Amino acid sequence: MYEFTKKTICDGVSFGNIKDDRFKRGRINATLVMPLDKKTAAANALLSCVLTRSCKKYPDFTSLNRKLDELYGAALYPSVNRFGDLQTVTISVSGLDDRYSLDGKSISSEITELLCSILFEPNITDGHFLEEDFEQEKRQLLENIDAEFNDKRVYAINRCIEIMCRDELFSIGRFGSREDVSALTQENIYKAWKNLLDNARVELCMLGNTPYEKALEGFRKYFDGKPRKITGSTKVISEVGEVKRIVETEEIVQSKLVMGFRCACPKTLRERIANSLMSAILGGSPTSKLFQNVREKQSLCYYCASRADNTKGIMLIDSGVETDNIEKAENAIMEQINAFVHGNVTDEELNSAKKVLKNVYISTLDNLSAMHGWYIGGTLSSFLASPAEEADIVDRITKEEVTELANRIKLDTVFSLIGN
Amino acid sequence: MEFQIIENERLGEKYYRLHHKSGLVINVFPKEGYNSTYAVIGTNFGSVNNHFISNGKEMTVPDGTAHYLEHKLFESEEGDAFSQYAKTGAMANAYTSFEKTCYLFSCTEHFRESLEILLDLIQSPYFTPETVAKEQGIIGQEIKMYDDSADWRVMMNLYQAMYHNNPINTDIAGDVESIAKITPEILYECYNAYYNLNNMVLSVAGNVSPYEVLEIADSKLKDSPPIDTQSIFPDEPYEVKEKYVEQRLPVAVPMFCLGFKEKAENEMPSIKEIVCTDILLEAFAGEGSELYRELLDKKLINSTFGADYLAGRGYRAVMFEGETHSPSEAAEAICEGVRKLKETGISREDFEIARRSLYGRAVSGFDSLSATANQLIDSEFLGKTIFDQIEMIANVTFEDVCERLKHQLDPENISLSVIKGIDE
Repeated sequence: MYEFTKKTICDGVSFGNIKDDRFKRGRINATLVMPLDKKTAAANALLSCVLTRSCKKYPDFTSLNRKLDELYGAALYPSVNRFGDLQTVTISVSGLDDRYSLDGKSISSEITELLCSILFEPNITDGHFLEEDFEQEKRQLLENIDAEFNDKRVYAINRCIEIMCRDELFSIGRFGSREDVSALTQENIYKAWKNLLDNARVELCMLGNTPYEKALEGFRKYFDGKPRKITGSTKVISEVGEVKRIVETEEIVQSKLVMGFRCACPKTLRERIANSLMSAILGGSPTSKLFQNVREKQSLCYYCASRADNTKGIMLIDSGVETDNIEKAENAIMEQINAFVHGNVTDEELNSAKKVLKNVYISTLDNLSAMHGWYIGGTLSSFLASPAEEADIVDRITKEEVTELANRIKLDTVFSLIGN
Repeated sequence: MEFQIIENERLGEKYYRLHHKSGLVINVFPKEGYNSTYAVIGTNFGSVNNHFISNGKEMTVPDGTAHYLEHKLFESEEGDAFSQYAKTGAMANAYTSFEKTCYLFSCTEHFRESLEILLDLIQSPYFTPETVAKEQGIIGQEIKMYDDSADWRVMMNLYQAMYHNNPINTDIAGDVESIAKITPEILYECYNAYYNLNNMVLSVAGNVSPYEVLEIADSKLKDSPPIDTQSIFPDEPYEVKEKYVEQRLPVAVPMFCLGFKEKAENEMPSIKEIVCTDILLEAFAGEGSELYRELLDKKLINSTFGADYLAGRGYRAVMFEGETHSPSEAAEAICEGVRKLKETGISREDFEIARRSLYGRAVSGFDSLSATANQLIDSEFLGKTIFDQIEMIANVTFEDVCERLKHQLDPENISLSVIKGIDE
């Protein structure tokens, strides 16, 4: 079993440790959290890419990557995400545990040092990052944004959110817009670096078999005495007007239907888990109402799944449909929701969704990357309970609780991507 | 019956292997402290096995049959397997690749019941004209989804360009016309030829004991009579079929896949050949390589770029793929790099760094129950243990890799597959 420790370095900067000796690999992550802001989102995203490309110690892309290879295929990567109306920038380094090195050298201490070099000693001269790093990463981030269009399932989901939340911060993409990225200058990302290190909420987390004390000291040296206020909150809309409907056409064989709903934004951990359970009953597994009825019985789509975002209070249902069936599929989905609203949930549906959800929670414990996701999600939502505790709560949730939450689902937006 | 214990000191891991009296090979890899368990049962029947002789009878089956059979086995007379697994809470799935078909579940409780469902599933074929016809709609939708997937198309188009005859050139799911020809009789023929337990492997990893698995296997498995099933593969010329193939799809960034076809026997490649190739590709085209740097500097690739080795019975090729705005220039730069590589080879230092990187990633694979269980299936079909790859990486020499290079990456025998945007 794992041991969990959490230390506060100063206001707004925390260090979590999940000590677990079962794994061959360990990891250390720094997550910087800021309110989503159109003025800074793109700069923060590009910064994370430029930071992980080189640093003072390994001053170009090739030398840094050779170092990672030498450290038995250590991995260093940035990830940028949306958490409600917050933007999170995470730099992760993972590598083989010291027990498995072929030459007996310590890999873990080098990995921690590397993360510190990346964050605190980037390749900056006179307020400028290496020009080729800046240009290359900008080009690649633009291509990355463009490529989200290549995968039509991802594209359709993104478009639905954009349309549904068009007047909210949430509609700012996790990378900012294409135009915002194009317009970025060296000054912008230098400022973003300063701003993130000085003002962002910082959640450090180390996972694996290595004792954490040395890493904590390393970060303490930098952050001690640099407190920051935690800012940013998420706007939740619970009322809907007339359903927004947008149709786009594209040269594709299978059409996509994405329906965006407003749903409950839970105030307690139990309600949060109940809302996830509600979504699981509806479309979270092969035993769900949508999969069993819309796909299996009516053969209207290849996939049909629902996902609730408990922080933003929205739920999306996305499906891949034959163009001729798109209206039928929408009606069939609404029919399943209506049945749910009227309390039409069998014990079997409830119990199998509970089992699926418990399985997901407990399985988290067997994967360090999933454990980190759990830690960050719990920390940012202020509902940090262990996966085992969460699984216990699932067992106690009643049919009435999920039905009540189903009653709070309201259709807001329908986005269809139709093949010609 | 006694389990054979297979241990590896380097990793401090061991697993249990048994050839069960029913004919099935069982591998159990307990992982101490894990909460979940992952089980997978596989047969070496994939989309490429479309022509075979089983107990003297020769058969050619429609494209997509292995995948269709997977869908149909996933349901029994009592309904689909998902609803049975719903009672145990296991997450279940199945997949068909070019070389094999696998059925799997992962669970954190009720392991016994879930394994019983899995073993029943693969032993209870139930195909009627009605149930077979019903699947056409859903598989048709799946085929269409893949038709829209640029990632998938760029790769399939490459296989079609490289191979004249080998069935690797055919989509795993077949197409709407081919699946319309599938009948219950065909499915039963394939089932009898390949789902005989003597052709199958069960692997379980995680929170599990070998004796628990054995007890369930004893109670559930019916003895399979010995069977002789041989796949037949067509002769394949050395030369690629087409040098260039292009398709237009709605993509914002074009994609390319460049394949270097090599000589292939009708048997699986050895672990040594795979490991040497992987080290070679890491040294030549990994993120720390000169080539990667050069392609980046010329703005010909982005972080989606990577190299891969496609290798099975009758087909072998090194592939480079990624997104690019200039597919032909990217391909030319890679070919230029290959010509240089063939002349000068890799350095000892590059070899050592690549070997370490590969070693670290291979060791890390043992953290994942799904990776471990699936790797156990692949190793068994190769007649190897799961640790042979790690040991090979730890012990392979610079000279081995140099020798390997002589037999691959022929810059005169390449195909380029490109997906361009609709309006370009």
